[in-house]
Amino acid sequence: MEMLKRPVSGCITIIAATLVLLAGKPAQAERFELGAAPTEADAVVGCLYPMTGRSATYGRDSIAGIQIALDDLAAEAASGLPAPKLRVIADDPRSKASYAVRLAQDFITNDKARFFCGIVSSGVAHAVSDLALREKIIMVGTDHASSRLSIEAGHKYYFRVTNDSWTSMAAGARYLRDLQKETGWRKLAFIGPDYDYGHVSWTDLQLALDELDVEYETVSDLWPKLYEPDYSIYINALQSAKPDIVVTALWGGDFIAFIKQASTTRFFETTRLANFDTGANYDVMMALGDQPYPGLILSARHHNNWPETGRNKRFVTQFHEMTGRYPTYAAEGAYTGIMAIARAIEKAGSADNDEALIKSLEGLQLALPEDPPGFASYIDPDTHQIVQAQAVGTVVHNEDFPPSKLMVGNWAIYDAEDLKPSQEMVKRRRDAVAGGSEAVPPPTP
Amino acid sequence: MTSFLAVLIDGSIYASWLFLVAAGLTVIYGVMRILNMAHGSFYAIGAYSAASLVGWYFNNGIGPAWISYLLLVGAALLAGLIVGVIVERGLLRLMYGRDEILMVIITYALLLILEDTMKIVWGVSPYFAYQPYTELGRTAFGLLKVSNYDLALVGVSCLLGLGLWAWLERTNQGKVLRAVIHDREIAVAMGVNVRLMFTITFVMGTTLGALAGALTAPAISVVPGIGIEVIVLAFAVVVIGGLGSIGGAAVGALLVGLSRAAAVHYAPEFELFVIYGVMSLVLAFRPEGLFGRTMARKI
Repeated sequence: MEMLKRPVSGCITIIAATLVLLAGKPAQAERFELGAAPTEADAVVGCLYPMTGRSATYGRDSIAGIQIALDDLAAEAASGLPAPKLRVIADDPRSKASYAVRLAQDFITNDKARFFCGIVSSGVAHAVSDLALREKIIMVGTDHASSRLSIEAGHKYYFRVTNDSWTSMAAGARYLRDLQKETGWRKLAFIGPDYDYGHVSWTDLQLALDELDVEYETVSDLWPKLYEPDYSIYINALQSAKPDIVVTALWGGDFIAFIKQASTTRFFETTRLANFDTGANYDVMMALGDQPYPGLILSARHHNNWPETGRNKRFVTQFHEMTGRYPTYAAEGAYTGIMAIARAIEKAGSADNDEALIKSLEGLQLALPEDPPGFASYIDPDTHQIVQAQAVGTVVHNEDFPPSKLMVGNWAIYDAEDLKPSQEMVKRRRDAVAGGSEAVPPPTP
Repeated sequence: MTSFLAVLIDGSIYASWLFLVAAGLTVIYGVMRILNMAHGSFYAIGAYSAASLVGWYFNNGIGPAWISYLLLVGAALLAGLIVGVIVERGLLRLMYGRDEILMVIITYALLLILEDTMKIVWGVSPYFAYQPYTELGRTAFGLLKVSNYDLALVGVSCLLGLGLWAWLERTNQGKVLRAVIHDREIAVAMGVNVRLMFTITFVMGTTLGALAGALTAPAISVVPGIGIEVIVLAFAVVVIGGLGSIGGAAVGALLVGLSRAAAVHYAPEFELFVIYGVMSLVLAFRPEGLFGRTMARKI
């Protein structure tokens, strides 16, 4: 008995110490409830965003983006417009598909959610999208980007309102085509995270380059795992392959770590580095400090300094006034998600009829902060993917959005219609999956 | 040819890092028969301590760059010593003599507790302490430019391996430790203070783990979860080499390091597979590892 007491007391000491430590800090994981009260809401939206861990910034910014959308809707309602009252619940799926599905199921059962929104990880989004199909709940994706979700795995209940990997890579391919005319580059390398988003981005880039008849040689494609802390071996491998351009699908902290580690080598003296989907995000701009590494080509799903329209300036200012910081692209994505749901309900007349809501979302036009003058984003009725313009550029000194000292400038703008996947491409990819293949066959001559 | 040279250099650098991490793990197992799952957390604590200290040093522009190398080592020694003593005296000492599996579960629980504690202390944003890495410059090997910091890491790793060997083989304390390894009961009967030897060994193991983390910190982004990733690799290395063998850990690290570098350069899609492929191959033919000894069990 004495033998048992001592280990038990040791364990109790450790557990007690841990509890004391935890008690000293507020819980980081938190369920957010925004908007209308349960009894007043026209519809409940269940959102999944990371509130803890390395992607927590995206979750926090998304919550602020949702709040801006709800404020805009409340202002519309106050002025007599028929804006619906939404109740938005957000929780943290902790980047785990099984946990996300459980939370989403609880949104339906306990909160009577009529819509899902959000989700940063494409892997997690796949799982929740499957649930949305089974439970017949409309899912409005806002932050994950794998084009597989809207093309191969798309279904009537799934919509996405931020740029997907195809849109970004189609813009990137056009930038690379134009750059080839200037510099004659030939050798291309790719480095992306070893999961769905990374691999789909690489496929999308190759397909987009092929569609444009860009001639290039792939000298290396590398697949570090997500959240890899040490890129030195990959950087050496890239330098050994001597590419003219490296395209990457690393994002967030991984992309920042890659840049920081590459900057300690001659990487930026010998090659260009392009990130067309997430590279110009504001957290990256801040992390660059005052170092505009030569050869960086970046874009993102929303920019604080492009387009210079009243709508974009107002959104960025609202966000800054609300939070005291400038937004990452996640904020505008979440804002768009809530506005899309609200407009669909307005158009359908209520949130009760799924078919009417789906019809409303298909082709829905939304004037968004990221839309250049004279264009409004819209949801493609076939793929359910939002169609948007994209701007790609290089890093320039710009201290208008402190603490960042750099922003992207020297823009090349690509029209939304040009960035849509062709119907033939969509059919080819869907047919390939229907035929049991993961590989996308080349176009028929 | 450049690629082959790059594989050799990258592989050696990676192997030296793996050896630094695995050395502490194998020393603790060799003497105490504890498969210390929390070793990855000691690595992470060393990395975070060093990154915060070096970051603070450079952000405040306090003095010359060479001091930062002393800070790296100092942070590791301090963190390893403090955490090692607390864990050994406060937890493991209460569990000695129990089944090895129970010790695995206890150290796994400790790993989870320490991982969350680190998030509370250091947050979830990455730490970059790259200045010591860039200060040393680079050396050209033909067309390849290799970081002198990485090359120094290879040197430190070799020195550490030799130091551990000399300590175990050429000092009285080492002889006593080997006596404990061979037969704990006889060692106790001969008047050896086994508990003190355990404390010394465990603290040395944790300090080696923290040192590995601290020396790696300038080359990586220090983020939550690095300890968990490291422990998986470290186990692969010590299992290949043979649990408890310093020489085995060195050979295991070299095998894994070179295989991974070759995979990244020649067949990137096999990068993860190759590490565990090598481990499976070794275990298929030598279940006790390359340098492990088959031990008779007392029944």
